[in-house]
Amino acid sequence: MSKIDDGALMRLIDGELSPQEAERIKAAALVDPAVAARLEGMRRLRAVASEAFPVAADPRDQVLAGLITAKAAAPRFPLAHLGRALADAFAPRRAALWGGLATAAFVGGVLLGPYFSEADRSLAVGAGGALADADLVRVLDTRLAADGADGDGRSVGLTFRDDEGRWCRTFRADESRLAGLACRQQDGWTMRVLAPSAGAPGEVRTAGADTPDAVLTAIDAAISGDTLDAAAEARARDSGWR
Amino acid sequence: MDDFQTGLVELLPRLRRFARVLRTRDADAQDLVQQTVERALAARSKFRVGTRLDSWAFTIMRRIAIDEGRSLQRWGRVVSPENETTARVPDATQADEGLRADALAVRDAIHALPEDQRYAVALVLVEGLSYAEAAQVLGVPAGTLTSRLVRGRQSLMQTLAAQGVTG
Repeated sequence: MSKIDDGALMRLIDGELSPQEAERIKAAALVDPAVAARLEGMRRLRAVASEAFPVAADPRDQVLAGLITAKAAAPRFPLAHLGRALADAFAPRRAALWGGLATAAFVGGVLLGPYFSEADRSLAVGAGGALADADLVRVLDTRLAADGADGDGRSVGLTFRDDEGRWCRTFRADESRLAGLACRQQDGWTMRVLAPSAGAPGEVRTAGADTPDAVLTAIDAAISGDTLDAAAEARARDSGWR
Repeated sequence: MDDFQTGLVELLPRLRRFARVLRTRDADAQDLVQQTVERALAARSKFRVGTRLDSWAFTIMRRIAIDEGRSLQRWGRVVSPENETTARVPDATQADEGLRADALAVRDAIHALPEDQRYAVALVLVEGLSYAEAAQVLGVPAGTLTSRLVRGRQSLMQTLAAQGVTG
């Protein structure tokens, strides 16, 4: 079909062409019925597609609007809120968690103290939330999302930079049924959030799937730009997370 | 209510529409809207005044939907090989709203598109975002967005022509 491809026709319909380019396509459509028909088909598709999904009032929006309004009235301490939510989530599973837990439950600077005995704290965390678990540090340092889980079920999911330019990575420790977010700081990794994860150890999974809400929320709060694709992730690792 | 809240409330119908392109079942679309609102409220300090709230909220929804989609796919593989086909059957609870036959056909055809093409079509054809805005929401380069959009459209036009709906 001449020199006018579907990409150009599409840009015309979507208003993404310069005026000169648009004129060129329109002129071509005048002399070539095939181009004209294709253009008309695309125009119709766009019209019908937006008609297929109308903006409609929904009674459930009222409930959501209430949620949005109520949130403002409450004092805004997102970390405290997250901490509470996490504590609630941990509470019923405390006994099961302690055995497998080799890292600290450190939430944005708030150590969930009541949930850890003195003995547990020794294997927990250094000052400022620095991650001390050598195995998990190794996974964060070296493992790519595409590698999947190591022999102990530890894997990484998403990698991105935060507002301060620090590298951050989500991880799962399936044996411990935990997932979290850690960011690079002073040659180490600092825990941002740690949450119980669903799913049994050894279950077939895709890296990044089933990320707990608390971790997703922490990602949204921290992320600057987008997550890395596989190639960029490998480059970042190879350059030592600089 | 401050500007952020007002903006988010006004955005609800569009968030729901975007969710209904991404999810076939009405209940799933509702979950997606609710999670997006909760996440947006939690992350509101990241929203920069003067930038577009709709793109920002769509980005949040896209992240949730993709993450959920991966786990749904995995679940589908583990649980039942016929899950994929059953998921495509339009849900009676997603009301027809008296749509014309061609609009209904397009809706089903869009739901049947591969995920990456469906997202591109949803943002540009349904939501009316520019290519640059849509690429930003999807976190992909502009070239990737346009090629997904071309492929999605070609496939839609093919499907609909085969059904005698357009063309």
